Amino acid sequence: MAPLRDRRWRPGVYCAVIRSTPGAMTPFDRSTIFSMRKKILLVAVSLLAVVLLSGCTGSTTWFGLSTSGDVAYLANNTAVHAIDVKTGAELWSFSGEASSGIFSFGKSPKLFVVSPIVTADGLVIISNSGNDHDMYAVNPKDIPDPQKPIPNIVWKFTNAKGHWIAAPLIVGDHLFAPNSDGKIYVLDLKDGQSVKTAIKIIEPFKGIDGQPGRLWTQPVSDGKRLYVTSLDHSVFAIDLETYEIVWHKDLGGAIPGGPVLGSDGMLYVGSFAKQLERFDPATGEHKPVLDTNGWIWGTPVADGDNLYFGDIVSGVGGYFYSYNTKTGKLNSDPVKLDSEITASPLVLPDHILVATEAGKVYAINAEGSTLWFEPTKGKEYTTPIVAGDSVLVSYIESDYYLIALDNNGHKKWTFPAGK
Amino acid sequence: MKHTNDKTPALPTQPVQLPQGFSTETIKTIAVVGLLVLAFANWSSVIGIMVNAMIFIYRIVGHNFGIAIILFTILIRVITWPLNAQQMKGASAMQEFQNDKEWQAIQKKYAKDKEKLAQEQMRIYREKGINPFGSCLPTLIQFPILFALIPTITYAIGSTPLSLLKLSSYVYQFQNVASLLPLKSNFLWMADLGLPERTTLFGFAIPILAIIVGLTTYVQTKLTMPPSADPNDQAAQTSKMMGLYMPVMLFFFSLNYASGLAVYFITSNLLAIAQYSMMGRVNWRNLLPSGQSQVQKPKK
Repeated sequence: MAPLRDRRWRPGVYCAVIRSTPGAMTPFDRSTIFSMRKKILLVAVSLLAVVLLSGCTGSTTWFGLSTSGDVAYLANNTAVHAIDVKTGAELWSFSGEASSGIFSFGKSPKLFVVSPIVTADGLVIISNSGNDHDMYAVNPKDIPDPQKPIPNIVWKFTNAKGHWIAAPLIVGDHLFAPNSDGKIYVLDLKDGQSVKTAIKIIEPFKGIDGQPGRLWTQPVSDGKRLYVTSLDHSVFAIDLETYEIVWHKDLGGAIPGGPVLGSDGMLYVGSFAKQLERFDPATGEHKPVLDTNGWIWGTPVADGDNLYFGDIVSGVGGYFYSYNTKTGKLNSDPVKLDSEITASPLVLPDHILVATEAGKVYAINAEGSTLWFEPTKGKEYTTPIVAGDSVLVSYIESDYYLIALDNNGHKKWTFPAGK
Repeated sequence: MKHTNDKTPALPTQPVQLPQGFSTETIKTIAVVGLLVLAFANWSSVIGIMVNAMIFIYRIVGHNFGIAIILFTILIRVITWPLNAQQMKGASAMQEFQNDKEWQAIQKKYAKDKEKLAQEQMRIYREKGINPFGSCLPTLIQFPILFALIPTITYAIGSTPLSLLKLSSYVYQFQNVASLLPLKSNFLWMADLGLPERTTLFGFAIPILAIIVGLTTYVQTKLTMPPSADPNDQAAQTSKMMGLYMPVMLFFFSLNYASGLAVYFITSNLLAIAQYSMMGRVNWRNLLPSGQSQVQKPKK
């Protein structure tokens, strides 16, 4: 027979350590109270775990990064930061209109992940990817309080129905802003001092299954036409005078990256159909020119006759491709890197930099790839940029959002500093 | 030489002897805990299975993610039907145990001797075949499914670049989803099942789905609350508290997470009511303000 008192936890046996009987449930003694408390605690912990684990889905997306030369703009979820590229010091930040007290209750949180762009007048166009779908033009030269450097809003556009994922494109006096609602909003930049409205909304087509085609990437333009890709498998050309769709083609796979105009005057697009396609911009005639190992995510980068891009291969990693548009062949065998490549490569004078999901930055030249920079932790999805004499690389799930590297891949500064 | 068809005398079958201190219930508990550990240790695999199941259903139902979630919920309910049935049985047995006259007499008799009382309690548990953990173990098994469902819905819909990228790492090659992506994420009046739902009415953003989640959870917990002879006992108090706590929790949960998850909660609540109803354990009078103590006898 089991001893009545025991220091071990055994159902039905009084345990001296917890001063109760596990499994016992009576309304009169303390073991009941223990059991009830335990149950309530179990439920509370379970619910808390649900909430916490649900947060494990992590960030919504990666950060936006751009530069106007001596200033870098980083959209890191909560705000857009203007950063001095020489020192890494913050010049100003913008997190939407200030709202406080009762007026802030129930407001959708702002989310800044789209790469800001700068107009010829120096206005910075900032997209809020939160549920409000606002787009702002702020003037960095107009900062009322130097102690709290926040630029004034010049205008605000609020008519979009979907999330902003793509950066807008400036063509002449107009801003072409593709939205997840499947529309391209065309805003007038000329009199940016007043509140703007869309002068024309282009709704190219209904995407697959009749749902609006999601526009996730910045279009390109040759000055006469706008070339747009959609997550819903489509590439289309829009006449910039009439805003009419000139042609529209389905690639059979999602296109999260943008198109690129090659030096041969052709348009190149990669997709989840694991092919690089060449388009005649005039007619929209297209044909696959290269089969890839995985899904092409990032926008290919053109440099002379060459196109550079990467892919993602589930469970394997990613491959870097160097394709010659003149010969129609790869310059070298695809270079297998440690993890997925979503960012576009960055062309430097001596080599191409390729950032992978694992956060590593590789320098690739004709001889092969060299590990250029390896972070202690963090993931890299955003295309690195050159700002001044630095290369800026943005990280999520890291101690810093941004790191500036010199020509040899050595750290110059981080933002925030000191981490 | 022996013939292969020689009949050898059959050995007398003996019941499997469990180690001392091990009961069938203990083994069940260990099995459940083992399953949970296994699930959390292979978390990516669990999410992968669920993501691929969801995409498979989406494909066969004609590209409707809302319907896919509903069918997926039904599938989960069917798979966990025995567990839910056991949970109901366990909860009911515990309730009956609390109302048992023999037990009440023992409580009075050994009111001052806790150890003897516990011993007697375990004896009655054994005699009546009650597992004190019988009602909570099946619930525990369902937690990994709920935890995994959040990333499953978020990734499968791929409303944001990061979630679409995550999907690429979970989807099996044979699914050949390149032509299928992005999945159609609208359903009924909801524009995107991957995002929290808000419907603008008279200038106000109303979380209709979250409200429905709160209401159905409240109704479900009320209807399925085990009847108690003494509403003042601890178990009844806890059930009452949970009846208020859970709807509020799930309301706030649905307020902030993918509306696809809210579709799962609503479907799950309705299915739970249906299952309880089929087993004759729905207590409709609990919905009435004065119907708390009404006891409905379950169907045999």
